[in-house]
Amino acid sequence: MRFNFGFFLREAFKNIRLNLLMSITAITTTFICIVVLGVGLLASSHVEGVVGSVREDVSVEAYFPPDATDEEKDAITRDVEGWPEVASVNYVSEEEALASFKETFADRPELYENLDPGVLPASLQIQLEDPTDAEAVASRLEEEQGFSDENLSYPQQTIERLNSVTSAMIWGLYGATLLFLISSILLISNAIRLSIFARRKEIEVMKLVGASDSFVRTPFVFEGMVQGLIGAGLAGLTVIWLNFLFIDWARDALPFVPISGDAVNTILILLVLVIVGVAIGVIGSFLSVTRFLRKV
Amino acid sequence: MIRFDNVTKLYARDTVALEQVNLEIEDGEFVFLVGASGSGKSTMVRLILKEIEPTAGAIYVKGTRLSSIPRRKIPRHRRNIGTVFQDFKLLPNKTAAENVAYAMEVTGQRRRAIRTKVPQILDLVGLSAKMDKYPDMLSGGEQQRVSIARAFVSQPPILVADEPTGNLDPNTSVGIMQLLHRINRIGTTVLVATHDKEMVDVMRKRVVALEEGRVVRDKVRGAYADEV
Repeated sequence: MRFNFGFFLREAFKNIRLNLLMSITAITTTFICIVVLGVGLLASSHVEGVVGSVREDVSVEAYFPPDATDEEKDAITRDVEGWPEVASVNYVSEEEALASFKETFADRPELYENLDPGVLPASLQIQLEDPTDAEAVASRLEEEQGFSDENLSYPQQTIERLNSVTSAMIWGLYGATLLFLISSILLISNAIRLSIFARRKEIEVMKLVGASDSFVRTPFVFEGMVQGLIGAGLAGLTVIWLNFLFIDWARDALPFVPISGDAVNTILILLVLVIVGVAIGVIGSFLSVTRFLRKV
Repeated sequence: MIRFDNVTKLYARDTVALEQVNLEIEDGEFVFLVGASGSGKSTMVRLILKEIEPTAGAIYVKGTRLSSIPRRKIPRHRRNIGTVFQDFKLLPNKTAAENVAYAMEVTGQRRRAIRTKVPQILDLVGLSAKMDKYPDMLSGGEQQRVSIARAFVSQPPILVADEPTGNLDPNTSVGIMQLLHRINRIGTTVLVATHDKEMVDVMRKRVVALEEGRVVRDKVRGAYADEV
């Protein structure tokens, strides 16, 4: 039999118009569920973004003893750069250290007025690939390069706490998102079931006239698809708008928290939300009609 | 065309709807199925449509044993049988013309064919002026004409009507019966389940009488009751 795409699409739109209240219910349910899901995705993206930038800041600082020669410093710098745990190494000379000190306390010149350039030691700012390696890198610096413990600075406790808190937070968010997803599928398929139940007589007549199961089902599936698309599309746009509001607000209210728009891939989130919404609409209506058709 | 071979149908455990019914309806016949409410008329109609399965015995339509038709082929089976019901069973969201067209769309017919055929058939049942009206804007008789047009539009070899005049006044009923008679004269096998005594007596067609699930009488040019 010919698949009459135009006919099914016309039927779907006509049904949406005629069962407007039911359609609005289904669209609203989809909208709310997808917004919640989207906010969950946003929150986890932002948390990951913040965690990522905080972790990037985690570095080990190694201060050279004042008697170290330039050759020794150079050799150590090159050697440390070659370690697999190390992402990058930045050599800060005595002059640079003083310059940055002056910059930090620019409004209190009395602090550095009488300082000699040699007072602040030269150092290595070592960025790590993985903050959990901080201790290992520190002990390698001690054993292999002869740094003493007091000449090393790495926020060990902070790192450990950060790791455990953030991983718990991210997993919690994933769990909450999953729960929302499950409950939204249940809610939406229930809305669809209601609308199909309201039209059971119609389906019975269709079957009586000799309509095959798929002929009865296809307009319903199209309907679910359109409703999912509208609900999820609106939800996606709302989520993106909320994201902009949040970033704007955070810039003023939380200046020290590194929240940025770069942490969220808006197009990807929009796409995921719309796909999830359409899939729920299609699968939900397909299953609901199929279950109903078995009884007719 | 339609054959009941020792058919028994029990609802629940001990409610007998039909008991060992044997009946043969030839190609092109017009048959009344008469009897009081609960005598088994509707059960026979539903069995022919394969809406329900017999408890025992076999039913053949166009030579095919219905129990051999798989579930997914039931729609094709039903397209051989036009159906008319007491409550019309029209789709409320579709106009008269769209209701008729739906029966053609179901079989995947071309739009052009549907556009020419639907007005013709509505003209035949005398409703060409009301083809764009929705069912709730039509009288009972008009709705039944739409449902007959729908049943007949694909020209099925068989037309089955379950109490087609049950909700209609006598004058309207005559028109409906005349319509069924015309459809029969074109060569369609027509089976009408009814307890409309006057209609059956006027038409003088074959009458099969049911009583408590049994065929008690089968007369070629019969009346509703036994003639004394």
